[in-house]
Amino acid sequence: MGEPQSELRKEINDRLSKLKDEISDYCFQCAKCTSGCEAHKLLELEPHKVVALLKRGLINELVNSDVIWTCMSCFKCRERCPQKVAPVEILFALKNMAVATGKQIPGKYTAMLQSILSTGLIQDTQQVTTKTNKTIKREDIGLPALSKPMDAAKFQAGIMKIAMEKV
Amino acid sequence: MSTKKKYSLFPGCLMPTEQYAYELSVREVLPLLDVELLDVDDFSCCGEPMKSVNQLLTIYLSARNLAIAEKHHHDLFVPCPMCHLALSETKRILDADQSMKERVNVMLSAEGLTYHGKINVVHTVDLLHDHIGLEAIKNKVKTPLSGLKIAAHYGCHLIRPSEIGRPDDSENPQKIEAILKAIGAEPVDYAQKLDCCGAPLLANLPESALTKTGQKLQAVQDQGIQGFVDVCPWCHKMFDSRQTKAGETVAAKLEVPVLYLTQLLGLALGVNSEKLGLDLNLSPVEKLVFKEGK
Repeated sequence: MGEPQSELRKEINDRLSKLKDEISDYCFQCAKCTSGCEAHKLLELEPHKVVALLKRGLINELVNSDVIWTCMSCFKCRERCPQKVAPVEILFALKNMAVATGKQIPGKYTAMLQSILSTGLIQDTQQVTTKTNKTIKREDIGLPALSKPMDAAKFQAGIMKIAMEKV
Repeated sequence: MSTKKKYSLFPGCLMPTEQYAYELSVREVLPLLDVELLDVDDFSCCGEPMKSVNQLLTIYLSARNLAIAEKHHHDLFVPCPMCHLALSETKRILDADQSMKERVNVMLSAEGLTYHGKINVVHTVDLLHDHIGLEAIKNKVKTPLSGLKIAAHYGCHLIRPSEIGRPDDSENPQKIEAILKAIGAEPVDYAQKLDCCGAPLLANLPESALTKTGQKLQAVQDQGIQGFVDVCPWCHKMFDSRQTKAGETVAAKLEVPVLYLTQLLGLALGVNSEKLGLDLNLSPVEKLVFKEGK
């Protein structure tokens, strides 16, 4: 699977270069992003440092770091940056790069992607339990059938094209 | 003259596969406010959960869903803020970037779809507050929720990034509070209002996700708030479905009644609790008491 990913890697690399060359320069390390970061207190994410490392070209180090996966994508950093730097978008690009370079994808992301491929959604319908311990399925409570991709094969082919090879 | 507003419903993933109370209450309450929802086949995930894996995939999936919705001509009602963000952001990207639009349309053509950019997306909050309007809601109230102190939770994706165009203000959202007032309840301001529910970490750091939930709910409980409303299936999964577990992370016994805004609205409009899926809420919603109205 090594070769087909090269186009995707190039594409994400272009995105990161653009973020590095055109955007990270605006950052003057005021750390307003970090002061409001939802993942900062709990998981020690420091968005202003991510920007500083990117500015110095330490992309591989960032891509290989677990800390990029602690972002909660609350978008406060993007909202509040006085220089419109948007660390959250840098983190998305870094995570995309980690995936494209074959680094192991953490947690349930792979399972969610597989579920999208097979059912169109990140999970199929679940049985839920009411407060009185009754088990309920979607069809038990009069809800209509799920909206799902009608041509599963074509839908899958579309995703595979993006996730696995050049686009 | 009754003029029904028509929208196609974009259910997303979480609401139609497990957060049934949201879907039940949406389908029950909106018709009472002269909104007709159309079910559309062929939708898939919006793509937002895949943004960390492959952002192009997010754009592709959102564009695909928008292209399907366009065929039905009506604006798209999107009850999930995550989906609403993915669809809004994709729309913004494709409408501004002709080459990206062409590229996505080449991919979509395999399924006979084309994105033109002809429809808008709306969420529960702007549908109620801006499209239906507070007066229309007020006129339909049968049981005002007098004296009920309620805290509102908007959810991050609903209000940020404002650059993309979100249903309410990024730092001081007030539309849910205005809706609460319209149904007679008393909205309560609290310092942690903009704090994240933790759900975006569910995929890879579930313990930390629950800690965020626990911290916010504990703060709400300590302020003597009687009820808590949300408008996102992800936030609700954390605050309601997983409240007991969230309590364990902060060593607290949490007993905060958590409802979807559409459930509370339904109660005020005189809908019975079963139709609103209240038995599906695992938080102590039975603790909610309000003075019977007229």
